[in-house]
Amino acid sequence: MATVQERVKTVTGRVLGVDPSEIELEHSFTFDLGAESVQSVELVAAYEVEFGIEMDEDAALAVESVGGAVEFITKACKIQGVAVEE
Amino acid sequence: MTRTAVDSTALSADRRRGPMEAIFYPKSVAVCGVVATPGTVPYDIFHNILNSGFTGTLYPVAPFKRSICSVRAYRYVVDIDDEVDLAVIVYPANVVDRALKQCGEKGVKAAIVVSAGFREVGPRGAERERRIRDICGEYGIAMIGPNCLGVINTDPAARLNASFARKMPDIGRIAFLSQSGALCTAVLDYARDRDIGFSKFVSFGNKSGVSEVDLLYYLHEDDKTDVILLYLEEITDGRALAEASRQVTRGANAKPILAMKSGRTPQGARAAASHTGSLAGQDAVADAVFRESGILRVHSIEELFNAAVMYGYQPMPKGDRMAIVTNAGGPGVMATDAAIGLGLRMAEFQEATTARLKACLPAAANIKNPVDVIGDARSDRYGGALASVLDDPNVDQVLVILTPQSMTDIEAIAREIIQVQKSATKPIAASFMGASDVAPGVNMLQQAHIPHFILPEWACRAMAEVQRIRRWRQLPDGPPETLPVDRAAAAAILDAAPAGYLPEDLGLAVLDAYGLPLPPYKLARTAQEAVAFAEEIGYPVVLRLVSPEIVHKTEVRGVALDLPDAGAVRTAFEEMIEHLGRVRSGARISGVLVRQMIPAGHEVILGGQRDAAFGPVLMFGLGGVYVELFQDVTFALAPISRGRAARMIRSVKAGKLLSGLRGDPPADVDGVEESLVRLGQLIADFDRIVELDVNPLIARPVEAGGNLVADVGIRLSAPAD
Repeated sequence: MATVQERVKTVTGRVLGVDPSEIELEHSFTFDLGAESVQSVELVAAYEVEFGIEMDEDAALAVESVGGAVEFITKACKIQGVAVEE
Repeated sequence: MTRTAVDSTALSADRRRGPMEAIFYPKSVAVCGVVATPGTVPYDIFHNILNSGFTGTLYPVAPFKRSICSVRAYRYVVDIDDEVDLAVIVYPANVVDRALKQCGEKGVKAAIVVSAGFREVGPRGAERERRIRDICGEYGIAMIGPNCLGVINTDPAARLNASFARKMPDIGRIAFLSQSGALCTAVLDYARDRDIGFSKFVSFGNKSGVSEVDLLYYLHEDDKTDVILLYLEEITDGRALAEASRQVTRGANAKPILAMKSGRTPQGARAAASHTGSLAGQDAVADAVFRESGILRVHSIEELFNAAVMYGYQPMPKGDRMAIVTNAGGPGVMATDAAIGLGLRMAEFQEATTARLKACLPAAANIKNPVDVIGDARSDRYGGALASVLDDPNVDQVLVILTPQSMTDIEAIAREIIQVQKSATKPIAASFMGASDVAPGVNMLQQAHIPHFILPEWACRAMAEVQRIRRWRQLPDGPPETLPVDRAAAAAILDAAPAGYLPEDLGLAVLDAYGLPLPPYKLARTAQEAVAFAEEIGYPVVLRLVSPEIVHKTEVRGVALDLPDAGAVRTAFEEMIEHLGRVRSGARISGVLVRQMIPAGHEVILGGQRDAAFGPVLMFGLGGVYVELFQDVTFALAPISRGRAARMIRSVKAGKLLSGLRGDPPADVDGVEESLVRLGQLIADFDRIVELDVNPLIARPVEAGGNLVADVGIRLSAPAD
């Protein structure tokens, strides 16, 4: 099973139209990956579907980097009892 | 296939005067953070630059986008393989610091940070703003913003619309600087409707880098700008603004500055503070400082544009003599009253003019000023009368009034006025009174850049303001006066004092060191000492309790006036001490100040305060118990010149009192002037003085002994470490 990090990169790449292999954990969604505000909302929705979790939208949109998203999702999965590969 | 915007070498080398030039005349612009979605700020700004006919090269910085509007995009600004003069930053606030850091590494000279989310949103935003200011400082980037609409330069040498204002304004000779971005778009729309063009248009937002002061200096040298309009919500460095304005509005290259500052009322100031994230300056101080810096303050957009048209499109009058041409007697008389009340003079026509008027007007017309062309006047009468009075050497400016009557051909009259104005060398203003009936004529006048006012009195006010600017340009501008004072004696007292109010005896000693006129006084520790000093200076005397813990003496019966003899002094002294012991047991007492009872005179207040925006400020006005009631006060930045002191006194009603009313002998006005200069010197010399009140100074004729200080209050801040 793919790790949270790999799955986040795959989803991010798909939504933003970026090759996942070019995505680094320290990348900012806006500054490095060119996410538009509407895409940020799409990203949150896509992560929810991918991991089968619910995320607080305001808190999720405040996450600035890919690494931050991995951390946020891992924590949400734990709280909501969803098993993931770390 | 991508296309690259045309490179240009249109900008001459002499236009490249450092980072400010990079804002207005960049050879290349990178828009950092562009997105591909039309209708968003990042996209629209890029699109606006591209479509404004920008003469330089344009680069979109948009990570993982191949192109924006068919222009090849770059992931980072550092990837651009060309020099970049100006970066327009449209990233979200949280990554603006990274964008600016890259700009610094790239050698970008200037940046416009459009992004919001800085100090206007609270402490976290303020910290972000501090960080981007530091980065700009480190790399020497001139930054406009953050939190702004952008910059427009209509000069064909640049044709730059780096803003999210939809349309590029027409070319004009008016520059508009605004702290509010939203107001900018409204002003652009309004200006378009009135066919008013701009030279430069700048929304400077939080002014964290380039401020209105920098822009004023730049526009002073800009040969495309004749008039500067300024909208401010907060003043952060009032002294720098005053100095810049003085330089811009005087001398060979003088340009008028018209300013609108919001936050005039305390409620408005609070709204402005919450809007911009900082406190507004004190409005009364701003008002006075604007006046003394040559800034013409206006209070509405309508007024701003009327004044702008007056200065930007009409010649400066040579004098203050006004002629009025009207088709209605009543408004003519009202305008005459208003003009005279505002300090304008009604022109006395030469004989040749009255002869011409007689020839072109019916017998019933009034050929004296105000000229009444009578209610049934058509355009020929207006044209003849207007041309006649404009040719008169005794006339410096003309106001044309029209009231719509059944036979009044409004558009023909407007056309006639526009025609006559074409060859006129004197300013013309108009007031077509009414609303819908006169609207077509008003539009014609406005499009011809003839200032129009709904009411004739408003026109008179605007014309009177022009006179103020004319006089301001002629006013001698001497440096602040430095009079001989004993600075060391004052420093010995002030440096040793803790924060808070200085005891009265020490306050008087400080004033003494700075040469203010004081009555004989002494701090008595015992009733015997008080009586002995009273005997020495003569009766009647005043006793005033001095305690570091008592600010309001009257609340503890700490003041005894008009004591006629030794017995009264002894009794008052003992009662004062005894009462204090009862109401404030344990309060420390420095002693009781004994001084001469000052004979009656005019009570004036000389004050000072350290203002957050303006620094040391001096105040003068009607004093005593009436200060708050009448608020007849004026302000100036300290220190001041003697001439400024004289103008302060003349500008308030208290000044008229001092010059002698109804046969009263005049008070020692020269002495009050000198005291103001000395007090200005004092507050400017000592940073720890937060507030200073000489209230009242009793102003009396020289022959009666001159002016004397009756009371002083000096509040100090904590000593510096």
